[in-house]
Amino acid sequence: MSLRLVVNGEDRVSRAEPLTPLVDVLRDEFHLTGAKVACREGFCGACTVHIDGQPVVSCLVPLGMVEGREVRTVESLAAAGELSPLQRIMEEHDVVQCGMCFPGILMVLTSFFREHPRAERGEIKVALVGNICRCTGYERLVDAAVALAKRS
Amino acid sequence: MPGQNGERFHAATSLTDAIAALADRGSAGAALAGATWIMRAPLRHERRDLSYVAISKIDELRRLDILDREISIGACVTHAELASSLGSLPECRALAQAAVNSANPAVRNVATIGGNLCASAFAAADLVPALICLDAELEIEGAKGSERMTVKRFLEVRTGIGPDRLVRRVIVPRTARRSAHIRLPLRKAGDYPVAIVSLAATLNPTGVVESARVAVGSVEPVARRWEQLETSLVGHSLDPRRAAEQAERFCGDFLGREGVEAPGWYRVKVLPSLVRRAVLALQEQS
Amino acid sequence: MAIADPSNVTMNLPRRDARDKLLGRTRYTVDRMLPRMLHAAILRSEVASARILKIDITRARQMPGVRAIALSEDAPGMHGIGIADHPLFASGVIRFHGEQIAAVAADTYEQAQAAARAIEVELEPLPIVLTMADALAPGARLVHPDWKNYEVLFEGGARGGNVAWEATVVRGDTEAAFARDDVVVVESCFRVGRQNHVSLEPRAVVASYEDGRYHIETSTQVPWTVRNMTAKLLGVLASQVHVTVPPVGGGFGQKFDCTLEPYAAILARKSGQPVRLVYSRQEEMLTCLCRENAEIKIRSAVTKSGDIAGREAVVLMDCGAYGGEQIFLTTMTAHTLGGNYKLGSVKLASRAVYTNTPPNGAFRACNGVYNTFALERHTDEICQAMGMDPLEFRRRNVLGDGDLGATGQVFEGDVLGPMLDRMEKLREASHSKEPLAGGRLYGRATVVGTWFIFVGPSTATINLNADGSATLITAGVELGQGTMVQALPQIVAHELGIHPNDVIVRNADTDAAGFDLGVGGGRTTVSVGAASLAAAADVRNKILHTASELLQTQPERLVLRNGRVEIAGIEGSGMTIAKAVQHAHRLTGPVVGSGSFTNPGVPAMPGCAAGHFIDAIDIPVFNVHDCEVAVDPDTGHVEILSYKVVQDVGRALNPRAIHGQIQGGVTQGLGYALHEEHTIGEDGCIRQDSLETYRVPLALDTVPVEIDLYEGAPSIGPLGAKGAGEVPILNPPAAVACAIANATGCRVQQLPLTPPRVLGLLLGREPAVELPHIKIVSQLAAGLPPAIDLTPFRADRF
Ligand SMILES: Cc1cc2nc3c(=O)[nH]c(=O)nc-3n(C[C@H](O)[C@H](O)[C@H](O)COP(=O)(O)OP(=O)(O)OC[C@H]3O[C@@H](n4cnc5c(N)ncnc54)[C@H](O)[C@@H]3O)c2cc1C
Ligand code: FES
Ligand code: FES
Repeated sequence: MSLRLVVNGEDRVSRAEPLTPLVDVLRDEFHLTGAKVACREGFCGACTVHIDGQPVVSCLVPLGMVEGREVRTVESLAAAGELSPLQRIMEEHDVVQCGMCFPGILMVLTSFFREHPRAERGEIKVALVGNICRCTGYERLVDAAVALAKRS
Repeated sequence: MPGQNGERFHAATSLTDAIAALADRGSAGAALAGATWIMRAPLRHERRDLSYVAISKIDELRRLDILDREISIGACVTHAELASSLGSLPECRALAQAAVNSANPAVRNVATIGGNLCASAFAAADLVPALICLDAELEIEGAKGSERMTVKRFLEVRTGIGPDRLVRRVIVPRTARRSAHIRLPLRKAGDYPVAIVSLAATLNPTGVVESARVAVGSVEPVARRWEQLETSLVGHSLDPRRAAEQAERFCGDFLGREGVEAPGWYRVKVLPSLVRRAVLALQEQS
Repeated sequence: MAIADPSNVTMNLPRRDARDKLLGRTRYTVDRMLPRMLHAAILRSEVASARILKIDITRARQMPGVRAIALSEDAPGMHGIGIADHPLFASGVIRFHGEQIAAVAADTYEQAQAAARAIEVELEPLPIVLTMADALAPGARLVHPDWKNYEVLFEGGARGGNVAWEATVVRGDTEAAFARDDVVVVESCFRVGRQNHVSLEPRAVVASYEDGRYHIETSTQVPWTVRNMTAKLLGVLASQVHVTVPPVGGGFGQKFDCTLEPYAAILARKSGQPVRLVYSRQEEMLTCLCRENAEIKIRSAVTKSGDIAGREAVVLMDCGAYGGEQIFLTTMTAHTLGGNYKLGSVKLASRAVYTNTPPNGAFRACNGVYNTFALERHTDEICQAMGMDPLEFRRRNVLGDGDLGATGQVFEGDVLGPMLDRMEKLREASHSKEPLAGGRLYGRATVVGTWFIFVGPSTATINLNADGSATLITAGVELGQGTMVQALPQIVAHELGIHPNDVIVRNADTDAAGFDLGVGGGRTTVSVGAASLAAAADVRNKILHTASELLQTQPERLVLRNGRVEIAGIEGSGMTIAKAVQHAHRLTGPVVGSGSFTNPGVPAMPGCAAGHFIDAIDIPVFNVHDCEVAVDPDTGHVEILSYKVVQDVGRALNPRAIHGQIQGGVTQGLGYALHEEHTIGEDGCIRQDSLETYRVPLALDTVPVEIDLYEGAPSIGPLGAKGAGEVPILNPPAAVACAIANATGCRVQQLPLTPPRVLGLLLGREPAVELPHIKIVSQLAAGLPPAIDLTPFRADRF
């Protein structure tokens, strides 16, 4: 059995079982290791990708559900090698530590800012409730996100 | 036995297709909506070797219609869609609040109202008490036709509705009520609530409660109405303190479930304060 | 010789690894894939205590995709810290729920799991020793009946029965102090649970066997420990093991030990293929080397004027089924529970206790976090008993210049006192957040803490390249703390007069870099930093001598700056460093330097400490934390209203990076204070097996920490620096617990302070912690001589 989907703008075919979590297909079959597996239970958010523009935890999405749909991963955020404004501000503020949580955080905030470009600090924190970061204690990366919101 | 052609995953294209596929699989099959419960089966040490019929692409199940007298919510409407469609309707506030505060944004984008109602081992489901307090009903669809029932009835029979039937839609009647959903997670947000109070009430022009519905979730294994408290609210104006006192009197109605995250006594002990907050929220919706 | 301007070593150098991490390109160990790579799974015990009657792998071996199975006979060695009590696989007996019985490598992970399940194991159940009270009860079953026969790796600890190790401190005559008639005696008991690191990257390894050697790529903090332990367990020469470390996705101490590497190594040798082993989150929850659960009984004799005449305490640390890190950590009680304050006399015992539970390990500010909680709550209980102001009491008693520590070491410099003043300024600078408490109970507390930098051996080599860049080779690891990409290149660049971006930092590789104790205990900046500084000085010397000949100028008159060798005071003179190196290639050969560092050895008072791995702390680090809380009296929820930190950093090489460490460490500490706990069920299994039930702080559960970096305290670290990444977690549980006690008037004796526990305290339904199994006979009134059961354990008592 094979199944078609669009990943970061490219047509892809997967031969995995339809119940295989999308994150495993992305990482093991397509070698897109940006999305991380840290819990497989929807609580850490490290595996967040976009499906048809919406953030979802790819550890809980069976491959069969993404047939014909459009998946975007963290690898697609820097179009043509240019960091996205969100990535750039995180780099400028030097907020990354081990970095494991950032792919998920970036995917969540990217879609959040699309809908709420001028969000307040409190709203940003609420949006991040599904992303565990064990290193940074959040506030400094929230500062960076707030700085981005203030720019728009 | 997986379906005729041995496939473990069938993406149904219509309700009829889904029901036929489910009938075909019998007890080896199950509906798969947002999959957020099913995919975690291994973590609960449950089997995930069923043959799944994916229903989330069925247009009819994804519809949410706000009609004059009722709101019809397809079983595959997600928590996120519920929150955005109902946010502006005062009479459905409890359901909108339940949807918007449950889980986390990425999960809300896929988890469905049908899945929330059908995950029978899930005591902390947010939507269930909210639907109870809004007097919602369900429509079950099967090869032999459809059946309509209250949420209460559904919760009694839900483990036995299959294998060839599924929840088609949820119907919430529209009345001039106020409602609120108060959930108590242990952190600020992001976890399952250890206790939930959903409250709906209609008030007469002088502000006296004419009818009230209180539903309690997560305290016991299955959410249910708190009838004694409802009765004691009727005939009085909204008074958070008094309501909490009444709740205190009737707390003995509940036997809290013991859990890794919270002891049973705790779930019951916090109820009066959740009731107080719920009544306060109603008061503020003038 | 001219010294480069030291001021430019301090800068907010951004991390060089951030970009790839943000692009999703960084390849952690979990992201590594090799051709023909197999996947491994572990068969674990589902009971906590049993005799193994039979293990049959016949059926498993025939399962699809299976390439190799490893069992206890493949790993004959035993490992441990202090005592070699730990086999790689359960051999003969099961000692904890989750213990490894076998490992399988197969083409896919699912196949490996299926085969592991197909291994037939026959067990005869044995009674479980569940708690430390059980373990210490008279006639308790021994978790290690054979303890006397184990190899002792470090001499000096008293041992016996279920006590794996005991470290004691005796300074002065506490009995006399407690017998004085002008003292008030205050006794307190505390209990804390286990904390899981929850590094987002779980423990992970990819091992191969090539040319008769094992190559282990692993997510570790301690490449050299992995090398040596793997060799010991497998019974091969350490030189046969080669360890490299990709970027590590969080450690926090969990990866301060060799854990899963040997399984992959054995399977790689047996199958002849690379083997990947990555623990699932569930495995991480059930078998994490947690911060140990502990029980603390402490009492003090305090004079009316507020001096601490005597202090006695016993700390029980649950090491689980095997001694591991806890044996070492018994040492820390002297410096943490015995820290902060001037003590007239002191008597401490710290015991690591065996139970049939998953082994514990190291966690950021090991032992210190709960001992500081206990010490600071005890201090507040003293103040309450004596009617003294807690801040005044602390001011009066904190360690200052020339004061004696618990083991009699002499502290240098007044640090905590001035830090308390700085905290006062910080408090005055912002309004109290009390109005935000609304109808809730408001409380505040200021607490102090003593921690240390774990020094010990490190080495560094620097190649100065012909393009003017330098390559720094150490066995240091980048876990996310930033040291490898910030402080170290800053230190080297400063010495060599080049930009830190021109310092290439080699990832840890035991074939390239010399021995190192590992990344932890805040030691990277200090130990690896000092070795790197020494290596840089060596290189600097060499290049100055080469340049001196070329420029016909005395080396003393030359400086290295802006990538040039210049004549002091003449900007743009001389030549580029690159040129000088190119000359050196022809004259003397490539320019390479090396440096080493180890324990400088601060003395303790002879005879004070027994069974300690470290008698005195080389580099103390101090904290002052302040916290405001609001407690909901209806639900027991605690909200942190404000959080302030004054931290002793010696010298802040990269202030922004330190701020990041403080915000992160405080948040992790708030998690331990309020939410995080592993408890153990009757079956010996950890009850919180997921991130659903084990709750770490989320974005809404923390606050921006207000930070003041205290510089100038004495430090033997490079350029006066101290490690800054470990210590921020030391005080939050103490600060929060004291603030909650102040808010509620309740006697806070346990962590975490979850809503149910706090509500239980408010309702008076939370039972007091009494710890009858820890004997401190303190009934002065009863006319009994004050005595504490500190008799070092003697083997013949068992
Ligand atoms: C991290 C996380 C946190 C969460 N937190 C919360 C929370 O705080 N509050 C909350 O309410 N929820 C929460 N949820 C969601 C909840 O746990 C369930 O996962 C979700 O409601 C199930 O919906 P689903 O569509 O994903 O169901 P699925 O997983 O697709 O199905 C669940 C069950 O329902 C059956 N089913 C589904 N649809 C139908 C139908 N139409 N007819 C018949 N049977 C059907 C399936 O066969 C299955 O047995 C959380 C989930 C995650 C992952
Ligand atoms: S791995 Fe998907 S949410 Fe944690
Ligand atoms: S930076 Fe390490 S988990 Fe967020």
